Amino acid sequence: MNRRDLIRGAAVAIPGSVALTMLSAKWALAEGVDDFDGPVDVLNYALTLEYLEAEFYRQGNQSGLAEGRAADYLGTIQTDEEAHVMALQDTIAQLGGTAVPAPEVDFGQAFGSLESYLETAYTFENLGVQAYLGAAPALFQQKELLSAAASIFGVEARHAAIIANLQDKAAEGGVYQGAVETPADRSTVLQAASPFIVAARTY
Amino acid sequence: MTQPQQFVRPQPFGGRPVILFRDDSSRRRFLQTALVVGAGSSLAAAAAAMRDPRAVADATANDLDILNYALTLEYLEAEFYTQGLGSGVLDGRDLELVEPIRDHEQAHVEAVTQTITDLGGEPVDKPSFMFPDGTFDDKDMFLTNASAFEELGVTAYHGQVPRIDDPDILAAAAAIAGVESRHAAVVADLLGENPFPAPFEKTMTMEQVLEQAGKFIEQ
Repeated sequence: MNRRDLIRGAAVAIPGSVALTMLSAKWALAEGVDDFDGPVDVLNYALTLEYLEAEFYRQGNQSGLAEGRAADYLGTIQTDEEAHVMALQDTIAQLGGTAVPAPEVDFGQAFGSLESYLETAYTFENLGVQAYLGAAPALFQQKELLSAAASIFGVEARHAAIIANLQDKAAEGGVYQGAVETPADRSTVLQAASPFIVAARTY
Repeated sequence: MTQPQQFVRPQPFGGRPVILFRDDSSRRRFLQTALVVGAGSSLAAAAAAMRDPRAVADATANDLDILNYALTLEYLEAEFYTQGLGSGVLDGRDLELVEPIRDHEQAHVEAVTQTITDLGGEPVDKPSFMFPDGTFDDKDMFLTNASAFEELGVTAYHGQVPRIDDPDILAAAAAIAGVESRHAAVVADLLGENPFPAPFEKTMTMEQVLEQAGKFIEQ
C-alpha cells in the first residue's frame, strides 16, 4: 500500500499522528503538548495550507465551472492565496528557515460540478480561518509575524463568507460561523486536509 | 512579511457627526484628548477624560485600554445596525445577511464588557450616537455607511494585534476580528463592490481611528 492509498483511502480512520507523518516528518515530532516548534514551523504549517488552497483554486478556475460574478470572485481568491504563499515563503527565508515544498495534491471529484467546487472551497476557507486562529498563540511573542498572520486570517474569513454566499447558504452557520471565530488545533486541521494530500515531499 | 500599513478609508457619513456630546465642554475635552493619543491613550482614556481630565496623564496603553477602545467601536456598530434595521429599508437576502451582523455586534458588546469586568476594569459607558439625517433612508445609504464602519472595525482590530499583552485577550480579539472581516466582505458584496480589496487586512492605529471618530463629533 502506498502513501496515496493509505491517506486517501482511509482518511477517516487515520489517526492525527499518521496524517502528520505523511504531511511532514518534522511535524510529527512537533506534535505533543506544544503544537509547534518555533515560528518557522508555524509559518510552514500555514504555508502548506496556502499551497493547498492556491493549487485548489488554480485547478478549479481552470475547469471553467464558474461564470460571471462567481468566476471573478474565485479568480481574486486564487490570487490572494498565491500572495499568501509568496509572503510566507519570503518570511520563512528572511528568518533563515527552509520553506516546505508544495505537497502533491489530489482534489478528487471536487471539480465535478460548480456545486462541489464551491462546497470544497467553503470547507477549505473555514478550515483556514480555524487553523490561523488556532496557531495565533504560537506566534504571540513575534509581533510582526503575529500581525502578518492575522492579516491573512481576516482575508480567509472574507473568502469563507463570500463562498458561502455564492452558495446561497444560510446566513448563520453558513456565511457566518457565529459571533466569534472558532480555532482548531494542528492535528484537527491536518486530519481535515489529509484527504487532499497525496504525498508530502521530504525536505 | 509584506503588509500594507497606514491606510485611511473614506469616512462614514462624509465626516458628519455621529457621536453627540451633552454640551460643548464635553466635546472640547474629547477633542483635547484626541490630540494626546499616540502617547498611548485611547477612546477609553478619552471617556475617562470626559469624567476627569486629569485621568489622561495616567492612562497607559494596556489591554483594558484596548478593550475599552474595542467596546466603543462595538457600541457604535451595534447601535448603527439596530437603527438601520429598524428603518425597514432592507428585505430578502439583504435582510437575512444583515440581521445576524447586528446580533454579532451586540454579542461583541456583551463579550467585551464582560471581559473588562472580569479583568477588574471599568467598561466605558455607551456613548450617545446620532446618525445624520438620511443615513437610513435607503438601502444604499445604509449599506455604504455599514461598509465604511466594518472596514474601520477590521483595520482598528488589526492595528491592535501587536499591542495586546495577554495571549487570551489576543485570541478573543482575533476571534471577533475574523467575524468583522466576514461582515465587511458581505456588506461590500451586497453593494456590488469588491469584498476582497487586498490579500492582507490593513491596519489603522488607535490615533488614526480616533482621528476619524473626532471628525464625527458635532462641531
